[in-house]
Amino acid sequence: MTKHLRIELIIERMAHKRACRVLEAAGMTGYTVLPAMAGYGNSKRWSRDTDLSASGDMVVIISVGDETKVRATMEQIGDLLGAHIGIVTVTEVEVLRPGRF
Amino acid sequence: MDVAISTLLSPIILFFALGMGAALLRSQMSVPEAFAKGMALYLMMAIGLKGGVEMSKNPLTTDVLLVLGAGIVLSFLIPVIAFACLRATTKLDRIDAAATAAHYGSISIVTFVAATEAVRLSGLDSGGHLVAVAALMETPAIITALVLAARGQAKRDKPVAGSEQGELVREVFLNASIVVLVGALIVGWIAGEDGTETVRPFFVDLFQGVLCLFLLDMGLSAGRGLRQGWRQLSPMTVGFGLYMPLIAAAIAAGFAYVIGMPAGDAALLITLTASASYIAVPAAMRLALPEAKPSIYLTLSLGVTFPFNVTIGIPIYIFLALLITGQA
Repeated sequence: MTKHLRIELIIERMAHKRACRVLEAAGMTGYTVLPAMAGYGNSKRWSRDTDLSASGDMVVIISVGDETKVRATMEQIGDLLGAHIGIVTVTEVEVLRPGRF
Repeated sequence: MDVAISTLLSPIILFFALGMGAALLRSQMSVPEAFAKGMALYLMMAIGLKGGVEMSKNPLTTDVLLVLGAGIVLSFLIPVIAFACLRATTKLDRIDAAATAAHYGSISIVTFVAATEAVRLSGLDSGGHLVAVAALMETPAIITALVLAARGQAKRDKPVAGSEQGELVREVFLNASIVVLVGALIVGWIAGEDGTETVRPFFVDLFQGVLCLFLLDMGLSAGRGLRQGWRQLSPMTVGFGLYMPLIAAAIAAGFAYVIGMPAGDAALLITLTASASYIAVPAAMRLALPEAKPSIYLTLSLGVTFPFNVTIGIPIYIFLALLITGQA
């Protein structure tokens, strides 16, 4: 088992392609995008069934990489979250096949 | 008065009221998300196809081109007025006011469909080219809003991380509603009445039923949006959501009068101008003006203006159209 870092980014759906481009540019070897159903933040509830444009929907992006790549990503993600709605967390994880990251 | 009563008591409006009431009472009723999106596509295809078939029956005249031009001018113009009203009467900052103004310059295709039915129930005729006007009025307001937002603002020294050249242009000009609406209009125009006969049972006969189901879902969305977002709106902002459609309607009525539009067409142009977007513009705003608060502009256009327009607004707009054509 090898230690790596796992980025979990919750971001508005409209900006998720920007986030994915940031991850790719930083050399992250993969990521997964999951839909979020509903939530609460900044004193407002939101849910997928209130907005036909889906512009208010949120997604979760999960990516795992070594520390150098993740640190390079975080600076750009910080800029992205300066403009868009979202939160990001980084946690230490253990991975089975380190060569893949 | 008859127009108002027949509009308010039509199944589509009653289903809308049912959905909105259910959402406000916190009912668990819901329409599956993918199904709702499918219905939206169906309605845009049906209305585009119908408009294209109608257009294929008549050549493009100067009058038609004038109406198309009027739609574009109105879509550029209305956000300026909406922006000025918001800045004068509410505490919204420049970015929020510009983003909200964009919604009021653009159009709501569902309000347009509901108005088309109300116009038909009133015994008035309307031209298929109004569908083209609807498509043309989707985007100019976004451009005006971006100019309004940029004035007096410090420009970012570099684009937002991960931005790609052309992504906003794609979102604004190639969003699903424009592609489907314009695409179906062209298909209908090329195929004509005879060519579309085989798809008539799907796109014409089922239309009213699907519209009822869609309006039920819209009622649910509007009610939930209002319930979740009303705290973000000040009384003056809510007031804007109610008086702005009337200002826009009065300006459009002036345009329709000058052009000399028939009553049915005028009613639809007035409705388009008075309606506010909640599909194309919110998506574009998240890319172009991400600092703007969706809880303000989306709650206002979907939770306040849309219900106002489909219940009270449309009869007023038809009356306005009858008034300027001397039929009231």
